[in-house]
Amino acid sequence: MYELLAIILKFISIVFGGILAGFIGSLTGLGGGTVLVPLLSIFYGVPIVFATGASLISTIATSAGSASAYTKEKIANIKIGVGLEVATTIGAVVGSLLTVYLDHHALTWLIYVIFGIVLLGSLVPAVKRGQSELPPHTRPDWTTRIFELSGKYHDARLKKDVDYNGIRWWLGEIIMFFAGTVSGLLGIGSGALKVLGMDWAMNLPMKVTTTTSNFMIGITAATGSSIYWYSGYIQIFIAAATAIGVVIGAYFGAKALVKITNKDIRWIFLAILSFLGVEMIIRGFVTDKIFFMVPLIQFSISIVIAVVFIAVLYLHNLRRLRSVEAL
Amino acid sequence: MKHFDVYRIISVSLRTGVILSMVSIISGIVIIMVNGGADGYTLAQIASYSKSQTLYSSLIPLNNLFTGMYQLDGAFYVAFGLWVLIFTPITVVVIALISFIETRNKLYIALSSCVLFVLFFAMLVVPHFLS
Repeated sequence: MYELLAIILKFISIVFGGILAGFIGSLTGLGGGTVLVPLLSIFYGVPIVFATGASLISTIATSAGSASAYTKEKIANIKIGVGLEVATTIGAVVGSLLTVYLDHHALTWLIYVIFGIVLLGSLVPAVKRGQSELPPHTRPDWTTRIFELSGKYHDARLKKDVDYNGIRWWLGEIIMFFAGTVSGLLGIGSGALKVLGMDWAMNLPMKVTTTTSNFMIGITAATGSSIYWYSGYIQIFIAAATAIGVVIGAYFGAKALVKITNKDIRWIFLAILSFLGVEMIIRGFVTDKIFFMVPLIQFSISIVIAVVFIAVLYLHNLRRLRSVEAL
Repeated sequence: MKHFDVYRIISVSLRTGVILSMVSIISGIVIIMVNGGADGYTLAQIASYSKSQTLYSSLIPLNNLFTGMYQLDGAFYVAFGLWVLIFTPITVVVIALISFIETRNKLYIALSSCVLFVLFFAMLVVPHFLS
């Protein structure tokens, strides 16, 4: 009886971790997995492959959950999404096989380190997010015509219909291949890379980018998940708990996102994420005994580096905002 | 020709998939708790993080999925829920493919078939190389 109670509590504690991850993930726009993997591996002591496995499954759940809401508004572009999925799914196969290779060759510390680097790297575009709603006007190129990359949606906030032309489809595909690889390797949606591919490479409006990326994340994650399944990376107890938790968290995160008027609150979460990123890198080296460090010192170093990192981003952002205002 | 709203169908199927999978996962976990274990593993083993003790995906025989569910084995309900979740986004690609067939858009019929091919390659071909 006592044992049953302890296990129920353990389950609930993982669900709670999932809620937290889903909440922060949807508030910062980075997705639940980005928070979930470090949370599970650092604070719950879950082996990294089980953490990425649970995360990939949870990523499908949140993507499907929020995409069902987004597609109703008809902003997500299905043609662009499906076209780019060719590259992300191939990338996901490569990425998840890479994880299997690293796991079999006792190189899992590399997964921690790459995860940390990707996490810190994706904070940079997350900071810039939501500042320029519409892309600069460019002339359609040959891919616009062949791949039918033009579209139109109604922007409720700008109160007008927005016409857009996607360009450089091939460049989008190349970036999406890497987005898929990262997704399969680390068990995350890699929304930041997907947004980069559509926003920067294909010159699509932010709304189209985020909604289409959300719709694509599920398909990419499904590809990686089946390979994870047969490799035994999905521990059912953990995956069940996180899937439930992340769905709940993402739901409340999306609600909160609409209500929060003070955008500076995001900085607190970005700071937490940068701490997790640095901690993952250090943890990778410590786990494989490349060097030894007492947890307390480990945390202190992570906090210091994270604070410096986020301060630099904050100041940089402030300066850019000022120069925009000056214009 | 009857026109169908792709966005609406996608939205409904995504939501149905998530709800079905959540219901199945939650009932699976409840059954595991009530039975004190599943698939020959004790509750303590299932909740363990240790790879040498715990029940993880490749140990669950998917061939027995429905037999397991019929025998009220919680692990199979969780497995079913997880697979419903994996298949949910795939139905989106299938729906998109149908809509492209309807509009006779050859390029996009090819592209969405390509995506489905990679998906099934990952599910049916790659696992053979892993074991």
